[in-house]
Amino acid sequence: MIVGNYLSAVSLFSIGLYSVLTRRNLLKIVMGLSLMESSTYLFLISLAYRAHSTAPVLLGPPGHESTSTLVHGSVADPVLQNFCLTAIVIGVAVTGVFLAVIVRIVQHYRTLDADRIREMRG
Amino acid sequence: MTRDALGAEPRQLAFEPRHRHAIGLVLVAGIAVVLGATVWGIPRETAKLPAVAREAMTEALPDWHTLEPVNEVVYGTRGFDTFGETFLLLAAVVGIGLVARSKEPRRGFIGEERAGHEEQEKSDPAGAEGGEEDEARTAESEELDYRAEPETPDTQPLGLPAPERARGMSVVVRGSVRVIAPILAIAGFYLVSWGYSPGGGFPGGAVVLGVILMAYVSVGYKRIARIIRPGLIEPIEMAGALLIIAIEALGLVFKGSFSANFLPLSQPGTIPSGGIMQVFSGGEFIEVATGLTLAVFGLLGMSRDWVPDDDDDGESKGDAAHPAEDSTAHHSRLSARSQ
Repeated sequence: MIVGNYLSAVSLFSIGLYSVLTRRNLLKIVMGLSLMESSTYLFLISLAYRAHSTAPVLLGPPGHESTSTLVHGSVADPVLQNFCLTAIVIGVAVTGVFLAVIVRIVQHYRTLDADRIREMRG
Repeated sequence: MTRDALGAEPRQLAFEPRHRHAIGLVLVAGIAVVLGATVWGIPRETAKLPAVAREAMTEALPDWHTLEPVNEVVYGTRGFDTFGETFLLLAAVVGIGLVARSKEPRRGFIGEERAGHEEQEKSDPAGAEGGEEDEARTAESEELDYRAEPETPDTQPLGLPAPERARGMSVVVRGSVRVIAPILAIAGFYLVSWGYSPGGGFPGGAVVLGVILMAYVSVGYKRIARIIRPGLIEPIEMAGALLIIAIEALGLVFKGSFSANFLPLSQPGTIPSGGIMQVFSGGEFIEVATGLTLAVFGLLGMSRDWVPDDDDDGESKGDAAHPAEDSTAHHSRLSARSQ
């Protein structure tokens, strides 16, 4: 029942979006964005899954498989696994930039509250 | 009101203001319903592999001599995508470096302001006397008590109040890291070198970052500062980026297409199998390991860029009671200083 995974990804995404929309603490907004990112990882990996198949590695397949059955599609989708790898790296990079900017914002405004920063005093 | 674990001072729990609860809930519920509805149209686990995946599976062995179709997709057929991603990572690292750097040129990541302070005292002892800046510096160094930092906590008695001042961690942690770090480092290099089995530059680079961070937490920054410094890591990262650009562009020179394989393919199941894939993976390994190290240490080394206020203590007590008033007063002070 891979639909369960899809629905979990949707709920993770929604939880993340909810905290981005309703929280005012900048760190919690970044945490919400990270949750939304991880929901895409779960979604991509679940989308790559195929029932009764194995990993897309042509080296020593499990007993009932041979390299030719693997090549003809009895594997998880390697392209989506590649996308997930890409998404993870980009997620890490973007989170790093967010955190660096937050440290500078806090040093300048002395608050983590997004609403007070919006007031742009000084 | 609550009392913290040590029972020292009653402390108000931080009130967390929120923003338009109801509207957020409605919007998120709507989006969740729409996304949930689309789930029923998405291919399930019984669907046939899409054409692009089947092509990757069939091409991996004959065209690239590799047993690892995921690596073949990452560094081969979709190499251009990975190429772009590499430079996105590089851009993010440069962005973090730009935001995190201080105004002065730095040689290390952590504790540079201390090094500068000592140097300044040596070169200009008269200038260090009197003045508001000197007062602030004295207050800061007293507050942070840098000089009292011992190398390791081994000689300190047990049960001292937190935070621990030592640069490194106890002999147990240092001993364990000494055993684990080389094994983990070899695992990282293995993931990259044996490119015909699952692995590659991205996980390998992340493992190397883990080794560096373990060394950092166990012995402290001072002991690894000779290697983990911007002057050494930044050129290595740029060399990795150059290697990736070169390996991709040479395909254009030799085969007439960017990211085409121009290296001889050796037997499948050997380390040099896969042609340019392996070189690209190695470049990515350098890029990820150094890039993530720069990002993490850039964040760790972000020091404050203001002179501490003499009434900072007063604020921390008053802040809980009147957060708004206090911050207004602060902002006016900050803006007064900047003008």
